Amino acid sequence: MAYLLQQLLTRSASKHPDKTAVWARGRSLTYRELEERSNQLAHLLRKHGIHKGDRVGIYFPKAVESLVSMFGVLKAGGIYVPLDPQQPAQRIQYIIDNCSIRALVTTREKLQSLDREAIQSVQFSVLTDSSSGAEKTNPRGIFWEELANFPAETAPEDLQFTTLDLAYILYTSGSTGRPKGVMLSHQNALTFIEWCAGTFQIQSEDRLSSHAPLHFDLSVFDIYNAIEAGATVYMVPDDALLFPATLAKFIAGQGISVWYSVPSALVHLVLHGNLKAQNLERLRLLLFAGEVFPIKYLRQLAELLPQVELYNLYGPTETNVCTYYRVDRTKLASMEKIPIGRACANTEVFAVDEQRRLIQPGQTGELYVRGPSVTNGYWGDPEKTRQMVVSNYFQTHYSEQMYRTGDLVILREDGDYDFVGRRDSQIKSRGYRIELGEIETALLSHPAVKEVAVVAIPDEEISNRIKAVVSVHDGATLTVTHLQQHCAQRVPKYMMPDVIEFREVLPKTSTGKLDRVVLAVQR
Amino acid sequence: MAEIRDKIREFVSETAQSRGLTNVTDSESLIENGVIDSLTIFRLVSFLEDNFGVRIGDEEIVNDNFQSVDTIESFVADKLSKKRSPVQRG
Repeated sequence: MAYLLQQLLTRSASKHPDKTAVWARGRSLTYRELEERSNQLAHLLRKHGIHKGDRVGIYFPKAVESLVSMFGVLKAGGIYVPLDPQQPAQRIQYIIDNCSIRALVTTREKLQSLDREAIQSVQFSVLTDSSSGAEKTNPRGIFWEELANFPAETAPEDLQFTTLDLAYILYTSGSTGRPKGVMLSHQNALTFIEWCAGTFQIQSEDRLSSHAPLHFDLSVFDIYNAIEAGATVYMVPDDALLFPATLAKFIAGQGISVWYSVPSALVHLVLHGNLKAQNLERLRLLLFAGEVFPIKYLRQLAELLPQVELYNLYGPTETNVCTYYRVDRTKLASMEKIPIGRACANTEVFAVDEQRRLIQPGQTGELYVRGPSVTNGYWGDPEKTRQMVVSNYFQTHYSEQMYRTGDLVILREDGDYDFVGRRDSQIKSRGYRIELGEIETALLSHPAVKEVAVVAIPDEEISNRIKAVVSVHDGATLTVTHLQQHCAQRVPKYMMPDVIEFREVLPKTSTGKLDRVVLAVQR
Repeated sequence: MAEIRDKIREFVSETAQSRGLTNVTDSESLIENGVIDSLTIFRLVSFLEDNFGVRIGDEEIVNDNFQSVDTIESFVADKLSKKRSPVQRG
């Protein structure tokens, strides 16, 4: 049994050395190549001063080198941090500084988009694009071609690992206005991966899609479950991410058998993918997570893909996936909403009411998760960690942590849970987890802005649209475009308000707080 | 055809501005610069349908047609000319 993520690769490379491990942008690597390149990268990182526990950022558009980087960092004893190449430089710089990233695997273009002053912790970078036309980079750039100078046969052998070591940090939206880094160990990830391997019976003949970006935890399944099984992972090309008809052709053309994505992507596929025109007979398993799948579109999807098994997976990044529900096609017609289901193996979930009592069937409560998939907390933020990762007060025999999801659920008579909503102002839009407070902070940082309230407006296709209501200081002038530009430099695209509305004053509750309920209703 | 181009430019520059981009040229890739993404593509399709009275099929919403202001213009112009002379319809 593997206790480190990189062992999954080494094992599959010895079983299936010549099989394709990863395909991206028309290029691919066999298991042997992936194993050897990642060994070489590990040696290179070690030689340039990466020590056990050092953070290494992975900052370039998805490519076969993404997997080399992830495994290379792990084999060097490092912790990798996927950095979304589409996010504003300011946010990336914050993350680099927040977890003191020591090295970047990146491209020259992405490196140059960052402000050197803002990334003082970075000592060197490894550039995945060719060295042709090389100019001096700052911090020092090491070219990918240099991997050839390092041993390929084995990874560095002088390191001591345990399954509790951190493997990666995923940054997610933070309510106080800054992203927060969820720390995940090898054990956290493997608990989920092994449950998937057993439940979904991923085989070496399978072809898994990789739709989610690497900083989004859905990608953990795509990549590690493909590697675990000796299967092939296909990175969805950029144009297929945008154009549903192109995506449908990609799924058919590559013979994808296992698909995992947010429901929004599947809704687009149902509405605009012209799925009937494609031969999708190899597709056998379709998983979705990240937001509620509107039942109307799920029914249409199920009709279009009669042979496919459908599963709803649920779980905040802090728990990987903690519950699942296998869609029962016979019940789909009469269902009003799709449950999030019940706990995965080696995980326990329960919901408590405001008096901290376990809820009974029919009641609503906040969902808690315990087990080996639960995070130890947030990087460099013990206060937030204490709020969310709490001691299990249901038993006193030994010390154990559990995670408060902040999600409200109803326990159904049949033992499954239904998602009801949030306790706070976190929302989902297109499957992305968004703290409205982070958008408010970005808008408020504009000097002309006096008050701001960001509210979610429910939307059938993408879960929520975002509306910002803004008042400006007396005498100040501000246009929507100007404020949009200001915001675009601070938050990712999926957090940009769809509507910005100016008002002289914002409505208040009787206690003087911004009245978000009124704002959300006034459209 | 200047009219078509201006309308498309209007949509593109408005979206580009909201993303903090300026000076988008007619030939540059709207996908690479981020003007067209999964959030804006269907807004653009509706914009074209509403403004030019054309019907855009799902199979036509592809990279070749939506790459740049230039390609969107020729795609729309082509649809309009087919609409005006239905005899030519394949």
